[in-house]
Amino acid sequence: MRIFQKTNFNFIRYRKIAYGFSIILLVAGMVSLAVKGLNYGIDFRGGSEVVIRFEKNIDVGQIRSVLDAAGVSGTLKQYGMDRSFLFSTVFQGDTGQLKSLVSNALNDRIKGNALEIVRIDAVGPSIASDLKWSAVKALLASLFAILLYVGIRFEIKFATAGVIAIFHDILTVLGLFSILGGLFTFMPLEMDQSIIAAFLTIAGYSITDTVVVYDRIRERIRGQKPSEYERIFNESMNQTLSRTIITSGTVLLSVFVLFIFAGPAIRGFAFAVFMGILIGTYSSIFVAAPLVYDWLRITKSSVRLRGSKVS
Amino acid sequence: MKNKRFNLLLIAVVTLVALWSLWPTWRDYSLSTQLNSFSSAQDSLKYAMEHREEIDDARKKSLKLGLDLKGGMHLVMEVDQVDLFEQKAWNKDGKFTSIMQNVRAKATQSDARILDLLAAEFRTENIPLSRYFYDIRNSNQEIVTKLDKESEEALTRAKEIIRNRIDQYGVAEPVITTQGSRKIIIELPGVSDENRVRNLLKGTAKLEFRLLREPEEMLRTLDRINTYLVQNAQNRTVVTATSPVADSTAAALASVPVSGVSSAASASLPPGAVVPPSPVGKQPSAKPLYDVIGVFQNGTAFTAEHSREYVLSLLHRSDIQALLPQDSELLLAAKPEEGKDGEKLYSIYLVRKAPELTGGVITEAKATFGSQSVQPEVMMTMNSEGTSKWARITGANIGKRIAIVLDGSVYSAPVVQSKIPNGNSVINGIGSLEEAKDLEIVLKAGALPAPVRIIEERTVGPSLGADYIRAGMLSLVWSFGAVSIFMLVYYKKAGIAADIALVLNILIVLSVLAGFNASLSLPGIAGIVLTIGMAVDANVLIYERIREELADGKSVITAVTQGYDRAFSSILDSHVTTLSAAFLLYTYGIGPIQGFAVTLMIGTSASLFTAIVVTREIFHLLLAKNLMSDKSFG
Repeated sequence: MRIFQKTNFNFIRYRKIAYGFSIILLVAGMVSLAVKGLNYGIDFRGGSEVVIRFEKNIDVGQIRSVLDAAGVSGTLKQYGMDRSFLFSTVFQGDTGQLKSLVSNALNDRIKGNALEIVRIDAVGPSIASDLKWSAVKALLASLFAILLYVGIRFEIKFATAGVIAIFHDILTVLGLFSILGGLFTFMPLEMDQSIIAAFLTIAGYSITDTVVVYDRIRERIRGQKPSEYERIFNESMNQTLSRTIITSGTVLLSVFVLFIFAGPAIRGFAFAVFMGILIGTYSSIFVAAPLVYDWLRITKSSVRLRGSKVS
Repeated sequence: MKNKRFNLLLIAVVTLVALWSLWPTWRDYSLSTQLNSFSSAQDSLKYAMEHREEIDDARKKSLKLGLDLKGGMHLVMEVDQVDLFEQKAWNKDGKFTSIMQNVRAKATQSDARILDLLAAEFRTENIPLSRYFYDIRNSNQEIVTKLDKESEEALTRAKEIIRNRIDQYGVAEPVITTQGSRKIIIELPGVSDENRVRNLLKGTAKLEFRLLREPEEMLRTLDRINTYLVQNAQNRTVVTATSPVADSTAAALASVPVSGVSSAASASLPPGAVVPPSPVGKQPSAKPLYDVIGVFQNGTAFTAEHSREYVLSLLHRSDIQALLPQDSELLLAAKPEEGKDGEKLYSIYLVRKAPELTGGVITEAKATFGSQSVQPEVMMTMNSEGTSKWARITGANIGKRIAIVLDGSVYSAPVVQSKIPNGNSVINGIGSLEEAKDLEIVLKAGALPAPVRIIEERTVGPSLGADYIRAGMLSLVWSFGAVSIFMLVYYKKAGIAADIALVLNILIVLSVLAGFNASLSLPGIAGIVLTIGMAVDANVLIYERIREELADGKSVITAVTQGYDRAFSSILDSHVTTLSAAFLLYTYGIGPIQGFAVTLMIGTSASLFTAIVVTREIFHLLLAKNLMSDKSFG
C-alpha cells in the first residue's frame, strides 16, 4: 500500500505562505500567553488537590454548595473521570487534616452517595519553584544538546534551522495550551511536570523528521551548484514526504490511543505530544528546510557538509 | 557469514535474557491468580504455605508497580537547615536571632542554598561568621565549608532515622532517598493509615527532661506579660487579642467557629480561679492575657483548646519571650486534661531552658499500660552515663517537678519522690496505645538532627491505582494493535518482521525494568506506548528506502542491503536526539517524570537493536529461503 505515489510539490516556492502561517500561529500564542497566561497545575504553583469520587452521579453545584456551607474554601471542578471531582485549595502541610475536613463535610451533608478520596497531592511553594527551574534547565539543555549534535553531524546552518523549528513547535504548543487552557472540562490543559516531559519529547522527536529531510538533502547536494539548490531541496522533500508522514503517523496513532484511554492524568501530556508531533512534522517540511535554503541563498554560500559519504 | 551467525546468536541471547527476567513476573501473576481462585480461605492459605518460597521469590524478582499504580504515599521532606545552623551557633544574641529570622524569611521565597543565604546575610551585616560559629580564628570560608559538611551529615542522619522509623513501623519496600542538600524523598507503597505515618515521620523526637520553675515565679511572669500586653494595647489601636485562629492557612481553609465559651470552665475550677472568657473581645481588655489563660489557686495555669493556637503564637513572640525570667521558657502540655464539663484544658509550664538530660541517653523504649491505670505509657531505659546523671538530678531535686518534654510539648511533669538509681523513666499522658507505640518507635530511632517539614505529598488510593492499571493496559493493547496492524497493511510481509521486532522491543523494556528493580508507573506505561509508535519508525525509514531502491530496478537482495545501509544515518540521528532529550528529562525530572524518561530511553535504545539487527536477520533468513520478492515490501 502507498499513501503517497510520486509527489511533486514545490515546497520551496510556497515557503513564504508557510512562514506567514507559522508567524500567525506563534503570535496568536504569544498574545494569549501575555493576556491570558497559562493554567498552572499545582506542580508549578504549589497547593493541594483532592480527587473525590462518588458512587452515584451527583451535580457539581451540589458538592460546591455543601463545601461552601462547611466553610471549606477552594475551587471544585469536574475531573476527567466518571463521577469524580477535583477540589483544589492552598498548600497544606498536613493533608490528613484536609482529607478529613473534606470527607467529613461531604459525608455529613450528602447522604446515600458514598464517596472516596482517591488521590491527594500537596506541593509546597518552595518545591514548586524548584520544579519550575529544573524544567527550564532540562529544556534548555536538551535544545543545546540537539544543536550541538546536529551541528556536528551536518553543519551549523542546518542545526540552527532545526533548533528554530523545535522552538517553533514548542512555542506553538505552549500557545495552544494558553489559548485552549481551561476551555474543556475533560482536558483542563494545566501546565505541570508531565507537560515539560511532553515538550522534551517533542524536542527530541521533532528533529527526527527534520533529520530525515536533511539527510536526503545532504545525500544529493554534494558537488551541486547553488543554482540547483531549489530543485534539490524540493526533490528531497518530496522523496522523503512519505516516510516523514508515516513515521509521524505511527507515533500520532499511539499518542491518540493514550489520549483516549490513559485517563485524565495523562491527557494533557498526550494532547501536548500529539499537537507537538503534528506541528513538528509540518515544521520539518515548511520551516526547517526552507530556512536552510533561505540562509544559503542570502549568504550565497555553498554547503560543506560533514558525513556525506555515501556507501 | 560469521557475522551473521553472531547476530543470530545475539538475538537469541537477548530474547532469552528478556524472557528469563520476566519469568518471575509471570510466575507472580499466575500464582496470585491461583491463590485468588480458591473458593475457601483455608485452601488458599494452605496453597500459600506450600508454595511459600516460590511465591516470595517470584514476588521479589517480579516487575514492581509504581506508587501510582499500587496506591501509596510519596513524600518529600525538607530538613530545616536554619534550625540546624541555629543549633550549631553559640553566643547567640539578639543580632543573631534577627539575622536568622531574615534568613528564614528569605529561604521560604528562594530555592538557593540556605548556607549561601546565611553567608550573604552575614556579609551584608558585615559580621564575621566566626562570631557565632566554631572558632574565632576561622575564616568565613572555612566556616561555610564546615557548616556545609554538618548539613550534609544531618541530611544523611535524618534519612537513616526516618528509615529506622519506617522499618519499625513496618512498610513493605519503602524507598528513601535524598535529593539536593536538604530534601528527603520517601515512597511508601500500600500505606493504609496515612495520618499515622505522617505523624511518625514529621516529629523531631527531641526528648528533654527539664526542671520546672517555682509556681510563684510563673504567676509573676504571667502578670508581667499581662501588664505588658495592656500597655501594648493602649499604645496601639489594634486589638491585641485579635483571633485565636492566628494560623492563616487554617483560617483560609476553614472558618473555625469560635464558640463563646464564657463560663465553660468555671464549674470545674477551684475557687479563686480566673475564668477565661471568650478571647474574641472587640474592646481592649484590662487583662488580655487572662482572657486566654486561666490560673488555679494552687499555682498552675492552663489554656482552653480554642485559645491554644493563640497562646502558642503569643509564646513564640520575641517581645514576650524577653519578659520571661532568665533561662526560662513557657511550654504547653502535649495533651489536654478534661475539665468537669468536657472542656479541654492544656496546662502551661514554666521550665528551665537548659534541659537536665536529653533523649540521647535513651537506649530502650517500650510502650505499655501503666501499673495503676489503663493509661498507656512508654517506659524508657538509659545508658550508664544517663543513669548516673539521672540519679544525680533526681537526688538533688526531690520534691521538685521535672517536665518530660518531647518536641517542645510537655507530656508530664511528675514530682520527684526519690532518687532514681536505675536509669528508668516513664512518659505518660499519652492518648492511646497506638500513639504510645509510635512514641516507642521514634524514641528508639533517635532524634532527628533538625526538624523536618513535609513540602510535597502525593497519595494515591488503591482503587485509583487499579483504574490506572486498567487504563494503562488498554492503552498498551490498543496502541500495539493499531500500530502493528498498520504496519501489516502498509508493508505486507515486511510488516510481519517489524511487528516481531516490536514485540521484542516491548519485552526488552519490561525485562530491563524488572531486571534493574525499577518500577513501572503510569507515566512509564505512557513511555512504552510512545515507544511503540516510535520504534517502528526505524523500520519505516528502512522500508521506504528499500521501496525506492526497488523502484530503481534493483534486485531484492541489493535493495534490502542498501536500504539498511542508507537509512542507517537518519535512524541513528533521530535515535540519538530522542535519547538525549529523554536522558536530560531523567536528569532534571523528578519522580513520575523519571519513570517516563526511563522507559523512553530503554525503548529507544532497544528499537535501534530490534529495528536494525532483528528485522535484518529475518529478511536474510527469508531471502535465503527465497521467500522474498519485490512485492514483499507492499
